[in-house]
Amino acid sequence: MELEFREGVVVKHPASERAASHGSHPAGPARAAARWLVAAGILGWLAWRGVTNLDYHWQWYRVPGFLVQIQDGRWTPGLLLQGLWVTFKITGASLALSLALGLITALLRLSGSVAGRLLARIYMELVRNTPLLIQIFFLYFVVARIFAISRFWSAVWALSLFEGAYASEIFRAGIVSIARGQWEAAASLGLTGFQTYTRVILPQAVRRVLPPLTSQAVSLVKDSALVSTIAVYDLTMRAQSVVSETFLAFEIWFTVAALYLAITVTLSAVAQAMEARLRVRT
Amino acid sequence: MSRQGNGGASGACAILVQDAVKVFPGGVRAVDGVSLCVDESDVVCVVGPSGSGKSTLLRCINGLEEMDSGSVLVHGVRLPGSRADLMRVRRMVGMVFQQFNLFPHLRVRENINLAQRLVNKKSRDEADAATESLLAKVDLTDKAEAWPAQLSGGQQQRVAIARALALDPKVMLFDEATSALDPETIGEVLTVMKRLAAEGTTMVAVTHEMGFAREAADRMVFMENGKILEQAPVQEFFENPREERTREFLSRIL
Repeated sequence: MELEFREGVVVKHPASERAASHGSHPAGPARAAARWLVAAGILGWLAWRGVTNLDYHWQWYRVPGFLVQIQDGRWTPGLLLQGLWVTFKITGASLALSLALGLITALLRLSGSVAGRLLARIYMELVRNTPLLIQIFFLYFVVARIFAISRFWSAVWALSLFEGAYASEIFRAGIVSIARGQWEAAASLGLTGFQTYTRVILPQAVRRVLPPLTSQAVSLVKDSALVSTIAVYDLTMRAQSVVSETFLAFEIWFTVAALYLAITVTLSAVAQAMEARLRVRT
Repeated sequence: MSRQGNGGASGACAILVQDAVKVFPGGVRAVDGVSLCVDESDVVCVVGPSGSGKSTLLRCINGLEEMDSGSVLVHGVRLPGSRADLMRVRRMVGMVFQQFNLFPHLRVRENINLAQRLVNKKSRDEADAATESLLAKVDLTDKAEAWPAQLSGGQQQRVAIARALALDPKVMLFDEATSALDPETIGEVLTVMKRLAAEGTTMVAVTHEMGFAREAADRMVFMENGKILEQAPVQEFFENPREERTREFLSRIL
């Protein structure tokens, strides 16, 4: 017993000393900064080699004009920011619609109705097993003509139907992961099926599926680039037209990638904040 | 307090189970022709080896299990029946589970308020007031704002009892309410249950706590293989059981 105790001290001592020196020693932060500088230097050198060896005439100075323009002393959004706004609107509407579709489909698949289950299953399998590009074409060139839907809303519906199929499986997994005891407790308290879902099951299920739903939302943002194929003037479509006029291929596409990245990173950060808040509560 | 009332007129029984049969997929007859009358204010303890159908019988009483045949009458409302009847029965019957089954995303107060608000349509203030007195009843006045995960097993189970009492039920069902608890916390839950029994609450408790049964029960029911082998007033059951099988069971667990 005594030996073990002494051994424990012996093992512990150097470790705690190291930990203490790491925190208080003035060389710690300086060394970390040096490491970052070296890494940044290597990356900078590689970038410089890439730029010079590419034999490409970089004209970054022309890019800001496509982001914002100054007309009559007022700032107005440039072509790319106009496209970004359309991308925002499409993904926002599609996100809301796909979550609703996903939830309804998941509930139908878990319902007692044979017809409901079948319908949900057919929708899910059909959409999940065909390419999004073809679905967009089908919606725009066929369905939109029948119901007189605008270009914009064709794009929104195509994206929503596509992402909704995936979201439905995520919701379904979340719902079936809730313990049977929760259903039984709600039922024994006299709650209706609807009340059980809205007050007991879904609040818990949604918390659990927030991470995969976030991935799905990020996919939606990136998949929205495909709506440029039906000439919706989103960010990608704007970029294509600017590139074809100016031949600033690298500058514009890098800028566009950065803009998509900004949206998706923001989205992930919001989701992470929501998750952290919900975790504290349970 | 203790009454015989075995299979008497339905008007006299708070709960009347008649020839209940529940067959699980795979052909296990969990409840196999059970009839039982529980008088108002009676405390009935159901004992028996595991897998004997005690819990399933309990779950038939508030319609958590659908019976394959037979019926249950709770204060005159019959199951199987319409959806409205099922809801009426569930409002009259409070149930406490082995695994507590508190709603983990709601604070203690909201756990107890939920059914009052949704089922009894009480205002927030009315529900809050009722919840305060329910928490006092289970000795947890200071835990209204706690999350279920912050409570010990015994505390969670007492919250679950308060939640089951929130609709002012005529009947309370306890499904092995102390089986998942640490030995030290079993006592605090049994204290609450005894208090309810003393107040004249009609109770059916599936339990392995023979001390509790002796002290609080009016009648005992012994089940095996989905059937009631013996039922008797509590004193008779422990001191002079009729059936050989009951004697064997009691000698093993006492």
